[in-house]
Amino acid sequence: MAKALIWGFKDRTFLIGMSVSIQRITIGYLISLVLGIGLGFLVGRFKILDETIGSLISGLQVLPSICWLPLAILWFGLNEQAIQFVIIMGAFLSIAIATESGIRNIPPIYLRAARTMGIKGIDLYTRVVFPAALPSIATGMKLGWSFAWRSLMAGELLFVSIGLGHLLQTGRELNDMPQVIAVMVVIVLIGLIFDQLLFSQLEKRLRSRWGMTT
Amino acid sequence: MKLKRSLKQKKINMRLSIEKVSKNFTAQHGKVLALDEISIQIKEGEFICFVGPSGCGKTTLLNMVAGLETPTKGVVRQSGEEIKIPSSDRVVIFQEAALFPWLNVIQNVEFGLVRRMNVRKRREISRTFLNLVHLGRFENAYVHQLSGGMKSRVAIARALALNPSILLMDEPFAALDAQTRDILHEEIEEIWFQTKQTIVFVTHNVREAVRLGDRVFVFTARPGRIKKEFQIDLPRPRDTNSESVVLYAKLIQQELREEIEKFLKEEVDRDWSLKKANLLRPAGIDLGSGI
Ligand SMILES: Nc1ncnc2c1ncn2[C@@H]1O[C@H](COP(=O)(O)OP(=O)(O)O)[C@@H](O)[C@H]1O
Ligand SMILES: [Mg+2]
Repeated sequence: MAKALIWGFKDRTFLIGMSVSIQRITIGYLISLVLGIGLGFLVGRFKILDETIGSLISGLQVLPSICWLPLAILWFGLNEQAIQFVIIMGAFLSIAIATESGIRNIPPIYLRAARTMGIKGIDLYTRVVFPAALPSIATGMKLGWSFAWRSLMAGELLFVSIGLGHLLQTGRELNDMPQVIAVMVVIVLIGLIFDQLLFSQLEKRLRSRWGMTT
Repeated sequence: MKLKRSLKQKKINMRLSIEKVSKNFTAQHGKVLALDEISIQIKEGEFICFVGPSGCGKTTLLNMVAGLETPTKGVVRQSGEEIKIPSSDRVVIFQEAALFPWLNVIQNVEFGLVRRMNVRKRREISRTFLNLVHLGRFENAYVHQLSGGMKSRVAIARALALNPSILLMDEPFAALDAQTRDILHEEIEEIWFQTKQTIVFVTHNVREAVRLGDRVFVFTARPGRIKKEFQIDLPRPRDTNSESVVLYAKLIQQELREEIEKFLKEEVDRDWSLKKANLLRPAGIDLGSGI
C-alpha cells in the first residue's frame, strides 16, 4: 500500500488527480460561498423569504447531494458543469443555513448600540450584521467544505473524469487493492488538512475573539 | 479643553421634554402596559437619575428618548422637536457595554465617526477620549482582553467621541465592583462638569442615584409611573458613603421599598411580606438587577 502511494506520486497520476480534484472543488466551493452567504443574508433579512423558502432550504439540505447527479446530467450533459452542480448543491445550502442562523442570533444590543450612534442602512449590514455573524458563517464554511469534498468524490466516482474519485474507480477496475487504499488515504488527508488546519482554526479564532465559548 | 468644542454653538435651551408618554408591548399573553403617561422636563446640562423596580420600564423610556423605540402615546421632544429616530446627538451607554468584539479598542471608540471624517482626524479625537478615560495604553487591545470596568470606560469614550448633547446611561455600572464604580462616578462627574452634557442615568442602586443626580425620579412598579421626584441639594463632588448621601438614599429607599414589595408579590404570586421574610436590607445597598 505504501508502495502504491509512493508509486502513485512518482507516476504523477496522483498529482494529476489531486490537482484536478482540488481545482474542481475550489471553483465549486467559491460559487457555493457566494450563493450560500448571499441566500443566508436574504433569508435572515426578509421574514417573507424565511417563511416561504426557509423550510425548503432545510428540507433540500437533507438530500444527499449525489442525488442531484442524474438531474445535473440531464440538464448539463456528462461534463464539468454537472459535477460543479453537484458540489454546489452539496455545499451552499448548509452555508446559507449557518449564515441565516448567525444573523438571526446576533445579540440585539449590537444593533441598538450601532443605531444609537447614528449608523443605519447598508452601513448597519456591512459594519455590524456581517461581522457579528462571522463566527457562524465560518462554521457554515467548514461544514460546506466537507460537504463539497464528499459530493465531489461521489460525483467523480460515478462518472468519467480524471479526479481522485476516478482513480479509485480505475483501481477497482484493475483489481488493484493497494492503489484503491492509497487513493483513499490521499482523499482523507486532503480532507483533514483543509478541515483541521484551515477551517477549524479559523472558526476557533473567530469564536474566541468574539468572546463566544465552545 | 477640547471637549467643549461645538457644544457652545448648539442651540441654547436644549430642553428634553417627555410629554405624557405611554408604551404598550404585545406579549404572548396579550398587551402589556409598560409605561403610563410619564411626563418629565429636563433642562440642558442636568444630571437626572431614574430608579425603580426592574421591569418598570426605565430601559424602555431611555430607548424612547434615544429614538430607538417610539411611544405608543405622547411625545419626547428635544429643544421642541419630536424625537422619532436615533441620532448621534443622543447616545445610549448600555450595561453590557455592547462593544464590538471584532474591533479593537480604538476602532470601537471611533466607530461612530467613520463616515464623518478621515482616519487621522478620527484617530486623534478617539485618542483624546480614550486618554480621558485613562485607557490610552490599551488602544490596540481587543474587547475580550478587557475587564468589566475597562469595557465601561471604552463605552463611555465611544459615546463621548460623538460629542452628543445628551448622554443616556442604562445601568452602566451595575456589573462592576464597588471600588471601580466609585472611581467611575468621579470620572463621569468630572466629564459632565467639562462637557455640560445632559445626562439621564438609570440605576437600581439608590446611593448611586443620590451620588450623581441633580434630581432623582422614583418609578412605580409596572406600569411605570413617576412615584416621586427628589431634588438632591448636596454640594459636589459627593461621597457615596457620606451621611447626607445615606440620608437621602434612605428617603428614596422607602419610596422604592413599597414598589419592590408590590413587584415581589406579583412575582411570587402569594401573600408575601418582606418584613416577615426578613429580606429587607439597609438603604443604599445594591438591590441587584434581579429585584
Ligand atoms: N420588546 C419587548 N416586547 C415585549 N415586552 C417588552 C419588550 N421590552 C420590554 N418589555 C416589557 O416591558 C416592561 C419594561 O421593561 P424595561 O423597560 O426593560 O424595564 P426596566 O429597564 O425598568 O427593568 C417589562 O415588563 C418588559 O417585560
Ligand atoms: Mg433595564
